[in-house]
Amino acid sequence: MVTREDVLQMARLSKLYIKEEELDALTRDMDNIIAFAETISAAQCEQTDFDNISNLSNVLREDVVLPSYSREEILKNAESQDEGYFLVKKRS
Amino acid sequence: MKYELVSGLETHVELSTNTKIFCGCTTDFGGEQNTHCCPICIGLPGTLPKLNEKVVDYAIMAGLATNCEISHISKMDRKNYCYPDLPKAYQISQFDMPLCKNGYIALSNGRKIGITRIHIEEDAGKLVHQRGNTYVDYNRGGVPLIEIVSEPDIRSIDEAREYVEKLQMIMRYIGVSDCKMQEGSLRCDVNISLRPIGSVEFGTRTEIKNMNSFTYMTKAMEYEVSRQAELLDEGKEVTQETLRYIVEENRTESMRGKEDANDYRYFREPDLVTIEVSQEKIDRFKAMLPELPDAKFTRYVNELGIPEADAGLLVKYRRVAEYFEKAMEGTANPKVAANCIIGQIFRRVENETEKEAFDIALPAEYLRDLILLLDGGKIKMNLLKSTLEKMLDQGKPATDFIKEEDMGGIDTDTLRQLCTDAIAANPNAVADYLGGKEKALKSLLGFVMKNSRGRADAVEAEKLLIEMVSASK
Ligand SMILES: [Zn+2]
Repeated sequence: MVTREDVLQMARLSKLYIKEEELDALTRDMDNIIAFAETISAAQCEQTDFDNISNLSNVLREDVVLPSYSREEILKNAESQDEGYFLVKKRS
Repeated sequence: MKYELVSGLETHVELSTNTKIFCGCTTDFGGEQNTHCCPICIGLPGTLPKLNEKVVDYAIMAGLATNCEISHISKMDRKNYCYPDLPKAYQISQFDMPLCKNGYIALSNGRKIGITRIHIEEDAGKLVHQRGNTYVDYNRGGVPLIEIVSEPDIRSIDEAREYVEKLQMIMRYIGVSDCKMQEGSLRCDVNISLRPIGSVEFGTRTEIKNMNSFTYMTKAMEYEVSRQAELLDEGKEVTQETLRYIVEENRTESMRGKEDANDYRYFREPDLVTIEVSQEKIDRFKAMLPELPDAKFTRYVNELGIPEADAGLLVKYRRVAEYFEKAMEGTANPKVAANCIIGQIFRRVENETEKEAFDIALPAEYLRDLILLLDGGKIKMNLLKSTLEKMLDQGKPATDFIKEEDMGGIDTDTLRQLCTDAIAANPNAVADYLGGKEKALKSLLGFVMKNSRGRADAVEAEKLLIEMVSASK
């Protein structure tokens, strides 16, 4: 069972603000989401190593330097930048 | 009450590969901000990381050099946290299947500090906080790290220091990192708790983050130990929290408490495949490891007869040890080469960086040839010393400075004559010496050495001078 405290803690870790009146509904929703996900655990299957379904190993690269991108290119998609840095603005 | 320190360290060591862990960007230190970046290391959507083989190799070497077991199978995991230094909002690290585990470092007091694990991961970017804004440079983002996690086996601040010094020495020896604390390529998180002496249970611990100098680490630990001891003495409890050390004020400050501890939601990194390490590879790497500082130290002391203090100085830097081994090869007494290096050459390489590089103009072979002249009775120790200074100045072999006729020393009659001359030429020094000024003998000795062109044996000459001056009274 997901508790109200669990939801508050999750909200805090995700830096979300939750109104008191939303809390009960969110707790119910979260409980349903988890119940939904748990149907997967009930499934029977042979394959156990889900972590490595590709069965690949050691796909490695050699330690050879390749050219980096230009700074303009790197910063192109940044929401804000200053003097060649990505800029994270003060929250006002 | 008296307390015992219980401490464990997490040490981050930046690997000296050419490229980052998952992309071909350079790992060079000090480039202009955001010029060593590509879509992979700034975490743009649609990119795929590919593991640098050198990172795995270096981590295996680090594990073998610290007596670890190497895992035949390991994998990468995502460690999720949201902070601007991580462009992907997760760090690719290793969680439950690290590459190396169950090792140890032996300290000089005979205690072993257990190493729980060594795993590979990517470094984060660098943040500059200014005027309330945060400026982000991702050049360091994606630089490969190993994190070496110790058991809580450390019982004193001295042990903590020696443990880190040994790690630093070993990593430099095997060439996987330059371990420069001032550049951040070696940094430690220190866990600290106290317990009453005799108690078996651990107390509540705090963790000081990111110590990047030996001095600050020692100071921060001293501060934290006394802070905790005061709390316990007052019957209060230590709060489990993460601390940062404020250098300017020599105190620690809370960064976050236990309840704010991150839930990293580790899960397997789906973009990277399993890492398999064969026994053959482990054996090959084991065979490739150089002789490590501890083994060298023991050999120098036990087999070469080098005093412990000197052996410690020689093994501290691999290049110094290699120079010493070349210079002493085939000579009669290894102590001579050791003394030349410690007494004379070290004066020319003063700081740690210079000793680490040990880039001196004089080839070790030239020093060996000079020592062989001494072994063959062709020159005396004092001539060896003065010639070595000239050789170090100019990087040239001994034969450039010692003429054939200077070799072979001088016989007792000639030495006696030189002493007689010295006494005759320096009546004031003789009077001073007889008047009780023992130092006055030095000018007589200097006269003899100069007129013998350094061939005279200083010890013999001094003995003879004292004898002759005293007799002239
Ligand atoms: Zn890159």
